[in-house]
Amino acid sequence: MAAGGVILEVDGISKSFGALAALHRVGFAVSQGQVFSVIGPNGAGKSTLFNVVSGLYAPTSGRVSFAGRDIAGLPPERISRLGIAKTFQLTNVFPTISVGENIRVAAQSRAPDAGRLRSLWRVPDVEARVTELLDAFGLVAKRDEPAANLAHGEQRYLEICLALATEPRLLLLDEPTAGMTPGETKDATALIRKIALQRGLTVLLIEHDMSVVMGISDRVAVLHFGEKIAEGTPEAIRNDPQVIEAYLGGAEDGGTGSVTCSG
Amino acid sequence: MSRVVTWRALVAFGALAALPALPLTSKYYLLLAFDALLFGAIAMSLDLLIGYTGLVSFGHAAFYGLGAYATAILLERGVLSVWACLAGAFVVVSLYAAIVSYFATARRGIYFALLTLVFAEVVYTFFRYTQTFGGSDGIQGLPDAVLWRGVPIDTPERKYYLVLVYLAVAYAVCRVVVTSHFGRVLVAIRENEDRARFLGYSVQRYKMAACMISALLTGLAGAIYPIRSAFATPDLMLWTESGEFIISVMIGGLGTLVGPILGGVFFTLLRDKVSSVVDWYFIVIGVVLVLIVLFMPKGLLGLRRLVGSRPWRQAA
Repeated sequence: MAAGGVILEVDGISKSFGALAALHRVGFAVSQGQVFSVIGPNGAGKSTLFNVVSGLYAPTSGRVSFAGRDIAGLPPERISRLGIAKTFQLTNVFPTISVGENIRVAAQSRAPDAGRLRSLWRVPDVEARVTELLDAFGLVAKRDEPAANLAHGEQRYLEICLALATEPRLLLLDEPTAGMTPGETKDATALIRKIALQRGLTVLLIEHDMSVVMGISDRVAVLHFGEKIAEGTPEAIRNDPQVIEAYLGGAEDGGTGSVTCSG
Repeated sequence: MSRVVTWRALVAFGALAALPALPLTSKYYLLLAFDALLFGAIAMSLDLLIGYTGLVSFGHAAFYGLGAYATAILLERGVLSVWACLAGAFVVVSLYAAIVSYFATARRGIYFALLTLVFAEVVYTFFRYTQTFGGSDGIQGLPDAVLWRGVPIDTPERKYYLVLVYLAVAYAVCRVVVTSHFGRVLVAIRENEDRARFLGYSVQRYKMAACMISALLTGLAGAIYPIRSAFATPDLMLWTESGEFIISVMIGGLGTLVGPILGGVFFTLLRDKVSSVVDWYFIVIGVVLVLIVLFMPKGLLGLRRLVGSRPWRQAA
């Protein structure tokens, strides 16, 4: 689906923890079908932003609207049911049950029985979704392995599978390639792009790895010390002097005209 | 054959049903078997919480005791129908369990264990220190209950079959629940509560529901007890009783349903055998339990690995 109307609008979000202002009046809009990335150095407030959008924190001020509905301050389970799924920077799966069971429990959250009395005895048939996701992420052979036994890269994939199994309209990816080797990162980036396109998903991505961001984003916003300092296409961001300043800490050699792609 | 009715379950319940026909089975052993199976049924109900949901209740004795008092009060007043006793226990325990499970699941971590314990102690204190229902003596000398007109539950055989049928029904309920949509969510909550929330599950509601089901099954088991013993006393609600339920779950094997039944049976038989020899039986039991926990972390059910595959066993 080509970029349509705005699906997620973050409007003047501030979030303070005591005296510390983690986010200060951050705003942006993500259109339907876009891959929108938020980048910034460590401590820029990226994860706080995600936690506000996904419902872990209520913002101190500002509005978050999803598909025209104000969601700021709703608990995570409500936001999930509205169609926003989140992956975690540190792998956050169900460790002792099998890979297949992990995806199954995520997928059945959208079954018509979910949350109703009859879920006490019924077993929803989500086999098709489970198989499809295992297949898409190359985890078919690992189906019966406990999730804790997976290699790191595979656990990252399972993390994304869990989020996708809830059939989201908006997918929040928090550093999906964290801890992956450069080769794995490349594969993962291509896979995420492909799946987003196939499903017409809107993706909001947090990364500090610029190579990932530049390869797949339609639009990029840059956070620095809790404030948005730039927003634009990947090309524009790559050449934005303020962004270069933030990332390179004001390096004065002038030799690099753009932000380098770190591996 | 199905998710509940397996060959294994049929063989096991068939063997238990044949028990009274064995020539060696005296009245004493039938009543001991009653106690063992009742304890097993309670441990199995508690396993829904401890083994599947990851919540440790230190207050199950209150559900058990309230169920027992419901029956005792009805029998004392001449309401002899088993069904009326079960219905009475159902109502009383539901009301109490709704309150306990709401507050105990409102906060995470150790609060569940603490609040279930505190609520149970309040209930115990009420029955022990007020004379409303007989104080520390409880309600004694109850008449036999009747299943229906002309069928009193008066012999050890009938009492034994009553508890066996209860165990079978409770097992079926538990098995259906843990293999359902709901049961999978319970396991997910045990494994990773936060992630379950981010998948859209209202974790507190699931915990409350699990607590209610476990409490009701325990309360119904309690309702059966005075039909065998002809009394209900506050000691049924003592916190040590809750501790023994937890121990039975642990020695049987967490999250297996069958394991805790075995654990409850094992615990009851061990207590009976040791206490008939020495007074300080709990020391002996304690040592046995420590050995089991140290060397059999999967509990008694873990032993099946040693036995290997059996021909009648269903492929998992």
